[in-house]
Amino acid sequence: MLKLTKLIVSNSGVRNIRILSASCYKSDISLETLYPNSKQNIFTPSPPSLSQEKFNGYIPIDQLQISYDRASGPGGQNVNKVATKVDLRFHVQSANWIPEKAKQQLIENNKMKINKEGFLIIKSDLTRYQQMNLADALEKLRNLIREAEKPKNVELSPETLEKIRKRQEIAANQRLIQKRQKSATKEGRKEPSLDL
Amino acid sequence: MASLKHTSEKALQMLRSLPRLSLANIRDNPHSRIKTKRGRGQHRGDFHGNGQKRWTVLRLGYDCSNSPFYLRFKYEPYYQGHHLRRQYPPITLKTLQMLIDSNRLDTSRPIDVASLCTTGLFQIFPDEKQFGFQLIDEGAECFKAKINIEVQHASELVIAAIEKNGGVIRTAYYDQKALHALRDPKKFFERGLPIPRRMIPPQDAVEYYSNPKNRGYLADPEAISHERLVLAQKYGYKLPKIEDDPQYNMLIETKDPRQIFYGLEPGIVVNLKDKCIIKPKVDV
Repeated sequence: MLKLTKLIVSNSGVRNIRILSASCYKSDISLETLYPNSKQNIFTPSPPSLSQEKFNGYIPIDQLQISYDRASGPGGQNVNKVATKVDLRFHVQSANWIPEKAKQQLIENNKMKINKEGFLIIKSDLTRYQQMNLADALEKLRNLIREAEKPKNVELSPETLEKIRKRQEIAANQRLIQKRQKSATKEGRKEPSLDL
Repeated sequence: MASLKHTSEKALQMLRSLPRLSLANIRDNPHSRIKTKRGRGQHRGDFHGNGQKRWTVLRLGYDCSNSPFYLRFKYEPYYQGHHLRRQYPPITLKTLQMLIDSNRLDTSRPIDVASLCTTGLFQIFPDEKQFGFQLIDEGAECFKAKINIEVQHASELVIAAIEKNGGVIRTAYYDQKALHALRDPKKFFERGLPIPRRMIPPQDAVEYYSNPKNRGYLADPEAISHERLVLAQKYGYKLPKIEDDPQYNMLIETKDPRQIFYGLEPGIVVNLKDKCIIKPKVDV
């Protein structure tokens, strides 16, 4: 196709191939007609500005440490060789892209996932594809941050409290019944004692 | 002097003195032709391996009942209209990478159905309800090329894999007539017909091609730029700055929705013999 257009161009006396390129022809349903107010050429938009109030969902990927490992489970040679498990970690305290308010809550909520050096570790081996696992890990991270942003419900209604208390009481009673039954069984196995 | 000769040298020397090859002095390699065992005679005769009375070979589909399954259910509602559905023969990213590495595809120009069919490895049969190619995500982890590609369908992972490497992917619809012309441009030009206008997609496809998430050719270009960032954030890669790319002009090159070939408008007649193009005086 390229050769053909070159031939055409050179023989019809037109100097530059760009003159015959796509940008010249505009039909009735060209993108300029359909979206006259939009930028017609692809550009790289700047990332959304960070706000200290709410997490906007943007994660700077270069501030994360992503490494790949082999996943577990069945799968033979493929699972043994292909590195599809994703290990994502970053230093929480120094992450300026998480709002301060949410950061403290995040650390408190995920104490088990943060190591001695202060790195939050997220792993994913959900799918058989590395890219999908990375997407899953990022999704997990976003969910953790959003969870940390939620207001903590300290206030419980009196009805809920009563429910919880009743449940705890029933559980304790059940436990004691079980205990007494077991104790009786064990007594029954002993030699009968003659208390005079 | 006794010299150490390679076996091939010895063989060639032998060949020089041997008689000319003919059917009379060649034979098969040992055990290459296996004599088929005929079902006749002492060992394979009588019941031909199928016993006297107790076991017979049952016909295909027979399930020992009066009404076998394949005759009871002559059709299933789930595949209704399958013969009318649009088909998109798949191309994996793995194959695409292989073609680029072996120089069968030119990445310095946009790739479309015509480029893919010209490689000789893929064919499109519009008569068999095939509407173009779709890209499959097999090989997404090893895809490293920066290309401007136009296919008819692509999944999210494929789009992510291509944009991660700084490339551009668009999905575009070609109606049957346009596809006939595009899959073999030379053959079409030899017919001497004016290039037709590409028709808009059918109703059930308009939504797909107007969606920036699918990088549709009828979608808002600014929305597509935004979606590129969204996808980069989803799949965890830094979106390369496409404006700083030296091949920016090639990467943003797109066809008009009514255009079939790059650089040629509808209505143009391409004269291969005289090597010129004839443009219409009236706008098509």
